[in-house]
Amino acid sequence: MRKIFRIMKREYIAAVHTKGFIIGLVIAPIIMGGGFIALAVFKDRVDTNEKVIALIDHSGVVSEAVVEAAEVHNQDYLFDETGKQIRPAYKMEVVEVGPEGVGPQKLDLSDRVRDGRLHAFVEVGPGVLHPGDDPMAAHITYHAENAALDDIRGWLDRQVNARLRELRLKEAGVDASLMGDILSWIETEPMGLLSRDEASGGIRDATRSSEARAFGVPFFIVMIMFLITMMGAVPLLQAVMEEKNQRIAEVMLGSVKPFEFMMGKVLGGVGVSMTASVVYIAAGVYAFRHFELGNTIPYSLVAWFFTFMFLNIVMLGSILAALGSTCNDAKEAQSVTMPAMAPLMVPMFTIVPIATAPLSGFATGLSLIPFFTPIVMTLRLGTTATIPAWQPWVGLAGVVVFALLAVWAGGRIFRVGILMQGKPPHLPSMIRWIFRG
Amino acid sequence: MNAVELRNVTKTFGKVVAVDDLSLDVPSGSVYGFIGPNGSGKTTTLRMIMNIFYPDSGSIRVFGGEAGDSCNDRIGYLPEERGLYRKMKLRDQIKFYGELKADRDVSEQVDIWLKRLELEDWAESKVEALSKGMSQKAQFIAAVVSEPDLLILDEPFSGLDPVNTDVLREAVLELQDKGTTVIFSTHDMDVAEKMCDFIFMIFKGMKVLDGTLDAIQEEYGHDTLRISADGGVSALRGLEGVERIRDFGRIQELRMKTGADPQEILARIMSKTRVKNFEVSKPSLHDIFVRIAGPEAEEVEVAENL
Repeated sequence: MRKIFRIMKREYIAAVHTKGFIIGLVIAPIIMGGGFIALAVFKDRVDTNEKVIALIDHSGVVSEAVVEAAEVHNQDYLFDETGKQIRPAYKMEVVEVGPEGVGPQKLDLSDRVRDGRLHAFVEVGPGVLHPGDDPMAAHITYHAENAALDDIRGWLDRQVNARLRELRLKEAGVDASLMGDILSWIETEPMGLLSRDEASGGIRDATRSSEARAFGVPFFIVMIMFLITMMGAVPLLQAVMEEKNQRIAEVMLGSVKPFEFMMGKVLGGVGVSMTASVVYIAAGVYAFRHFELGNTIPYSLVAWFFTFMFLNIVMLGSILAALGSTCNDAKEAQSVTMPAMAPLMVPMFTIVPIATAPLSGFATGLSLIPFFTPIVMTLRLGTTATIPAWQPWVGLAGVVVFALLAVWAGGRIFRVGILMQGKPPHLPSMIRWIFRG
Repeated sequence: MNAVELRNVTKTFGKVVAVDDLSLDVPSGSVYGFIGPNGSGKTTTLRMIMNIFYPDSGSIRVFGGEAGDSCNDRIGYLPEERGLYRKMKLRDQIKFYGELKADRDVSEQVDIWLKRLELEDWAESKVEALSKGMSQKAQFIAAVVSEPDLLILDEPFSGLDPVNTDVLREAVLELQDKGTTVIFSTHDMDVAEKMCDFIFMIFKGMKVLDGTLDAIQEEYGHDTLRISADGGVSALRGLEGVERIRDFGRIQELRMKTGADPQEILARIMSKTRVKNFEVSKPSLHDIFVRIAGPEAEEVEVAENL
């Protein structure tokens, strides 16, 4: 144990006393969360240039209302209370269908959009007022360079449909003064569940469920786990391979058992991970509180987070160190890195389906596969859903067993691989080393 | 008492038998030299004593106990290829290696050895800044700083200049004086002759020589003539009673056939050329090595070939 501790200490100091570690600590989350940061930084930087939109109204009933709505928009919604323009002005250009037909006209409008003289054009079908009569004639199409993500499409959608409903109600003989009441819209608020306050015995009211809590927290947790494992466990493969090639391994094995050597390195990786996680968690808590999201932080998750993270580094670290011991050069290391990264990559690719449906069979099943348990189970626990109490414990038991197996098997592979020169990594050989030494 | 005892030790790698049924006793306090051609099994044997490799069969005892972790802390090890963390400072590195074995603060010993081997000015430098010779001395210090009872040195002098070779040789002998048992492998027969109390030669995994230099030379008898003569090797070709000639340029070493008379050979040479120096001696360790392991190309075939 003494020797493991000495090696761990050396590995830890060697890792954290580098500029690379400090820079990586800062840069990694910026790169990983770059999109979100950019979104936060640039969310108020809206394009305020006037948008010219052409409208071909085959129905003849909506163009007037849309032009009016655009004028209201330009008059009332362009500026905030400080007088700063926060939205672009809309200029509607109603296009009459000419003798050459609508096809050439739409092509001409498309060319104008490409040239930048027009932002978009809309075609309203002739049968939009009563879609049931002829569904084929009831289309509304929006043509733009990036139509799917264009906010103006939504604005137009609301204006055209509001006008059509109004006309339909008018035709049905509804009094115009009742229109506002009839057409009013009430949003459904997303709320959590009520619970009993154990201290007072009273009922604790539900809190509003926010996107930050529903997706931000699980995403943050997965990112932290991923980054920390990348910093603590993944470099072991390269480090062990280098020490093998630089013959440091032989000197070390003259003093310590292969298992002690490997565990010292793995626990050094755990130390690096702990340091990084303390920094990230502290920064995360500060950031959430700064943006007044402190109430969304699931503090009860901290114990699970650190337990699963520790086991994840031990499990993956042992496997990666063992694989590193079988490699002779960077090319060989690269070939074994990709499959070894699967326990990290699979949870990354499944964040969205798991975060949106943490109680699904897929999420539950994946979180109980030991390789994926640390990240996926922590992700599920980070959501607002109530995960059955037995699941994290069963997942934990699986990871403990698997981590012990990984340490044992990794130690067996490491013992042979670290002194094997010139022989590329070969799965059957590794399996043989595990069972026969 | 023996510091190391090997009994019928065999080690194979796949189909290659690296060490074959080897038995060996290394007395405590001795300097034991391992010689043998490349790939003959020297390093494998040393690694087995260090418990880095495990023998397929046979037993290895170190200080009376089974080779293993408990005895390893009493052994200092300098491997054939040096292994130092390039980004680590020299003093920290030696201290780290020393304390892995010693389980105590070895700072004082580190400073003494750094000064002794003239590396104190580099103590705070990273290893990557050291020359090859300096790295080798650093690795040597790492092996001895824990004050081991047994020192195993695999090719300790290879690549060192004569000055540093002498420095290291003196250090080894000083450790022996203090009671340390030293095992080292070398290709330098001159060093082995001068330093070793016992010499062990392994060839193709098998022991072919084991004993003191005198005993080994005695085994081969006084069958060697060292001659310096006008005309060099060309004047010595075709001599009756001579089995082989080794040409060192200014001196030639002749191996006599069994039963040949050195005086008759001298007379035959003198009839052909002027002899400046003539000596009947035991074969050198180098000659014995070559007789066992070749290579034939270094020798000049005589007798019927010339």
